[in-house]
Amino acid sequence: MSSKASTTVLGSPEEVQRRWADEQYRPGYIDSVDAAVSFKRAPGDRGTEIHVDLEQAAPGGKFGEMLMKLTGKEPLAKVKDDLRRFKANFETGVIPRSDGTPEGELAERKLKQRPAQPLAPDELEKAGA
Amino acid sequence: MRATVWSGRNSVSVENVPDPNILNDRDAIVKISSTAICGSDLHLYDGYVPKMKRGDILGHEFMGEVVEKGKGVGNLELGDRVVVPFPIACGDCWSCKHGFYAACENSNPNAGMAEKMFGHSAAGIFGYSHLTGGYAGGQAEYARVPFADVGPIKVDEDLSDEQVLFLSDVFPTGWFGADLCDIEGGETIAVFGAGPVGQFAIASAILMGAEQVIAIDQYEYRLQMAVNKAGATGTIDFSEDADVVEQLKELTGGRGPDAVIDCVGMEAAHGHGALHAVDRVKQANRIETDRGQALRDAILACRPGGIVSVMGVYGGLMDKFPTGAFMNKGLQLRTGQAHVQKYLEPLYERIRNGDIDPSFVVTHRLDLDQASNAYETFKHKQDECVKVVLKP
Repeated sequence: MSSKASTTVLGSPEEVQRRWADEQYRPGYIDSVDAAVSFKRAPGDRGTEIHVDLEQAAPGGKFGEMLMKLTGKEPLAKVKDDLRRFKANFETGVIPRSDGTPEGELAERKLKQRPAQPLAPDELEKAGA
Repeated sequence: MRATVWSGRNSVSVENVPDPNILNDRDAIVKISSTAICGSDLHLYDGYVPKMKRGDILGHEFMGEVVEKGKGVGNLELGDRVVVPFPIACGDCWSCKHGFYAACENSNPNAGMAEKMFGHSAAGIFGYSHLTGGYAGGQAEYARVPFADVGPIKVDEDLSDEQVLFLSDVFPTGWFGADLCDIEGGETIAVFGAGPVGQFAIASAILMGAEQVIAIDQYEYRLQMAVNKAGATGTIDFSEDADVVEQLKELTGGRGPDAVIDCVGMEAAHGHGALHAVDRVKQANRIETDRGQALRDAILACRPGGIVSVMGVYGGLMDKFPTGAFMNKGLQLRTGQAHVQKYLEPLYERIRNGDIDPSFVVTHRLDLDQASNAYETFKHKQDECVKVVLKP
């Protein structure tokens, strides 16, 4: 079971690290689990690689891991959500949202997709959109 | 608003659903004037694309009027008449900046789901399963368009909806299919499938300078359109003779086409008897998702050193992929969802100049409320159906 996840963001290492530390962009989950985070300039014009290592497997052994996968609470999946959101926010200025996933990339949503049709006003509020 | 929703295999219905809202600063809401059913919608209708959910609004070919916009959409004004490309692209990631809009790294909020199936996620797509984002589609009265500052193209009032609507997908997709064939002039191109994408691949190959373009289909009326409207120089009707590879050899003096464009995809209709039967059984039982006889034939027919361009949609896995022919003949396989945003301006110019009038593919014009009948007519090729336009 891998404990590592990574992404590449189109920006200089300095700018990526500056925004990573900025309250407005800072990934909440990764921050809360005290993972090892490193930054590396990507080859050519590709930007900056962000590597995250949880340095430990999910608690509860194989069974615990499976249970967490089923509920979308697996730590590594949540790390990946954080990385995708950081990348999108950094590059585009928004968190992409769809009707099926109105909160933006969210592991818990993978198994409980809404139908791809617009949200009613009360759902909009719930999704924080 | 009224919208066409997927309600299970072989079933769509027009239902009342909430109106869309702006969810991000870079969104716009478009009031739809015309929308079309794509051949690839039939893969959803037939239940072969995974991660569909009852209630999903279908449709990725649409145009209309901008009626609302977020504060990040500076290039459009309310009232603008726009055509919306089917891939949703942010314009800011490395892929978008290099013209690979359909590989946008940010527009699929279900990227994790796609990564599990495909290794990586590609762009989000309107109305095309939760694997490509779970976005509501455009066979409806209104649609929310994310990254509206990047995708939609403004179109002049003097052109009809039917002349510009297909900029959303099938015209750029056909063009992309031909563009991948490196046509310099004088080539022979074979196009499998004379549906709308095939028609535009044929017309595009001719515009690019191909000398011989052969259309392959099992419906005579589609082959006639390919010759009379798209400009094909020859045809193969495989309902008369299923050995397409041999016929292509005959038509090319044994050389085989320089490039072959697959405009069929995962539900190929023909095949060589027993293999076709095996494909159908495996697909029905979900042992393979893709029934790929057109692609197999394309690889066998293409001349050594040639190019196989795949525009037909595939969703998962197929069996009996002819790796031996592919490798030993030194073929290049090129494919992808079309990077529509890259082609919008030049193809719009082609329409403006009169090089092509894409409305020639339209055979059926129906009210949105008749979507259910329209899907059946299109699926079963009733009434010589090639392309259906729905009016909300």
